[in-house]
Amino acid sequence: MMRVLLAAAAAVLVAGSAWAQAFPTKAVTMVVPWPAGGSTDIAMRALAEASQKHLGQPIVIDNKPGASGTLGPATMAATAKPDGYTVAQMPITVFRLPYMQKTVFDPAKDFTYVIHITGYTFGVVVKADSPHKTFQDLMTFAKDNPGKVTYATPGAGTSLHITMEQIALKGGFKWTQVPFRGGAETSAAVLGGHVVATADSTGWAPLVNAGELRLLVTWGATRTKNWPAVPTLRETGIDMVSNSPFGIAGPKGMDPKAVQVLHDAFRKGMQEPSYLAAIEKLDMANDYMNTADYAKYVLAKIAEEKDIIEKLGLAQK
Amino acid sequence: MDLLSDLALGFSVALQPINLLYCFLGVFIGTLIGVLPGIGPVAAMSLLLPVTFSITPEAAIIMLAGIYYGSMYGGSTTAILVNIPGEAASVVTCLDGYQMARQGRAGPALGISAFGSFIAGTLAIVGLMFLAPSLARFAVKFGPAEYFSLMVLGLSILVYLSHGSLLKALAMAAVGLVLGLIGIDQINAMPRLTFGQLELVDGLGLVPLVMGLFGVAEILVNLERRVVREVFDTKLGSLLPTRQDWRESAAPIARGSVLGFLLGILPGGGAVLSSFISYAMEKRLARAPESFGKGAIAGVAGPESANNAAAGGGFIPLMTLGIPPNVVMALLLGAFIVHGLQPGPLLIVQKPDLFWGIVASMYIGNVMLLVLNLPLIGIWVQVLRVPYAILFPLILLFCIIGVYSVSNAIFDIYLMLGFGVLGYVMKKIGYEPAPLVLAFVLGPLLENNLRKALILSQGEFATFVTRPISAVCLAIAFVLLISPLLPRLRQRREELAKEE
Repeated sequence: MMRVLLAAAAAVLVAGSAWAQAFPTKAVTMVVPWPAGGSTDIAMRALAEASQKHLGQPIVIDNKPGASGTLGPATMAATAKPDGYTVAQMPITVFRLPYMQKTVFDPAKDFTYVIHITGYTFGVVVKADSPHKTFQDLMTFAKDNPGKVTYATPGAGTSLHITMEQIALKGGFKWTQVPFRGGAETSAAVLGGHVVATADSTGWAPLVNAGELRLLVTWGATRTKNWPAVPTLRETGIDMVSNSPFGIAGPKGMDPKAVQVLHDAFRKGMQEPSYLAAIEKLDMANDYMNTADYAKYVLAKIAEEKDIIEKLGLAQK
Repeated sequence: MDLLSDLALGFSVALQPINLLYCFLGVFIGTLIGVLPGIGPVAAMSLLLPVTFSITPEAAIIMLAGIYYGSMYGGSTTAILVNIPGEAASVVTCLDGYQMARQGRAGPALGISAFGSFIAGTLAIVGLMFLAPSLARFAVKFGPAEYFSLMVLGLSILVYLSHGSLLKALAMAAVGLVLGLIGIDQINAMPRLTFGQLELVDGLGLVPLVMGLFGVAEILVNLERRVVREVFDTKLGSLLPTRQDWRESAAPIARGSVLGFLLGILPGGGAVLSSFISYAMEKRLARAPESFGKGAIAGVAGPESANNAAAGGGFIPLMTLGIPPNVVMALLLGAFIVHGLQPGPLLIVQKPDLFWGIVASMYIGNVMLLVLNLPLIGIWVQVLRVPYAILFPLILLFCIIGVYSVSNAIFDIYLMLGFGVLGYVMKKIGYEPAPLVLAFVLGPLLENNLRKALILSQGEFATFVTRPISAVCLAIAFVLLISPLLPRLRQRREELAKEE
């Protein structure tokens, strides 16, 4: 009996190591939970293209949009084998949605986190002829006129909405969110004078560059490459960074060796000029974290999101 | 003079052999995907986007744009032949186009929609050239209050969509409104009517709904009819619209073009809304409104022109403000960005060759489409001779592929089949699907804009009548709603007068 068990254990070990050496032997599927052609999709396609030569196998993009970017990771967690051949882009909504509504996944337990990649550039714009010259002006005005400052976001519960409310909470004032459907409408709303300000990712760029809109603040850790004259949120006295960072994860229980192989391939891909050129056009900046750091970061992020959602009164009842 | 030299510059770009080739490729692919039900321009463009990485920006945008307006040509084909709208904007084309086909007039129906599309497409480009900057300025004046009133106007045309009972049409509209509620509520980010299903969180897809209610339902109804094959015989001589057809279609094409162009500029559902409104307008203005729904050519010519003009109008906010008014334009924006270009107020100034090259390519593309589509009519009409036993499984297959290609979700295929059964039952008991589709499209926009407008006005309902554009829309809607009652009132008054 003992011998059989030992033999079985040995067989598993041998098979295991042989498998790990061979990984990957076929194409890896990357689930992108956003529609094809959007900024996240373009970035992930560029990364897949740049990383696959380092991986030695093609990386195939599978667009599974839905449920604010959680449908893809949720489906992967529920159905894919943790063999390293299926990974997904992990938007921040994966950590946030479980506190806003009932979800079928647990972000702390259902995923194996591989690598952290990048985040978006967010900023607040007003019309060029607006009396609010700086972000401080806008906040002061909001303090003096509670609720009178209206701001457009691409949707309720987005990072844009959450961060604007956090700013108000820190500053001890109130402003009014007007959630639009997706990014495109927010620029039109502020340009047409329907809202005082718009908080969004860089969809406002052409209008800012043309002098039609004024960019008051960006939310990254450092000033942006494209608009170096515009201060960060920290410089305006609000100690916050908001860029909706994202990385890559697989289903729970992945072999650490496969994780290592994938991590190394993506790490090298992130240094390829073709990838760097693509994300620069999208105003994204490299924000690399290794597997261990990313996993730790995720746990902290989950706790943070829970806290914010409860504070803002957005938690599910 | 400036315009002429700009246009000359544009044609010098568009007429380069390589750009001509990509223009042709674009409109050809567009025609194909327009004909295939379900597979819309979005799926095709996103699949081809990575392919364009290696070609010049001009060629890439010319091809992708060609796919879009090309698909608007093809969308009417299946609507007319087998009562399946190729895309949402062709839903109304089913109403009279399919009836024309059943009367053996598939040729003229296809012909007038090709000519109408050509005329409207060309007019839209002229509008794009002359009016782009000023119209874009006007479009941003539309805030939540204005959109709300526009949607009310859109819904009020329900009265004209039904050719049976008004009560039944309103009942269907109510069902459409409820179906439109499914998913995350845009204002509070709370899920509604999702029953804990992850697939329902983003709401129901328009494509499975339309394919099911029209396509699958039509197949089910026909299966029941067994061998009683309707005579769809079309004589070769009657492939093109007659002089009489032209006389009846000229004004609807002109009106549809202007209407579609204006609505296409506005974000959200422009093409769909414009085709519905055009249909209602033609029915209202027609000398014989009772012929609508029974194969009136004006009911094909107007909406088909409107949705093509809307496709052209959609380029205006994208190219002049960098604001995409619909999903297709958002994809095109992605293509611009990938190629290192930033559409916006500076595009015409910084890249005149690109801007005018695209505009010029649209003229060329529209001519190509007309040349491509007219000979195809003869072939399409032959489709009607294919035995049902072969045709129906093929249509079903294309519907399934089409629906799956939009979302990559098996769930949507089940959804389509479910709506197919619902559509079958509705047909059986005399309820029409068109009002349901219209309400489904407009409902979420109506609610969202109502609530946003009230957030902005701090709860003041007066905002809808004090803002001029909004007030005008509401006034027209009011007139539309009470006008069917007026003749009856007048009649009644006359009767009273006689008695006295």
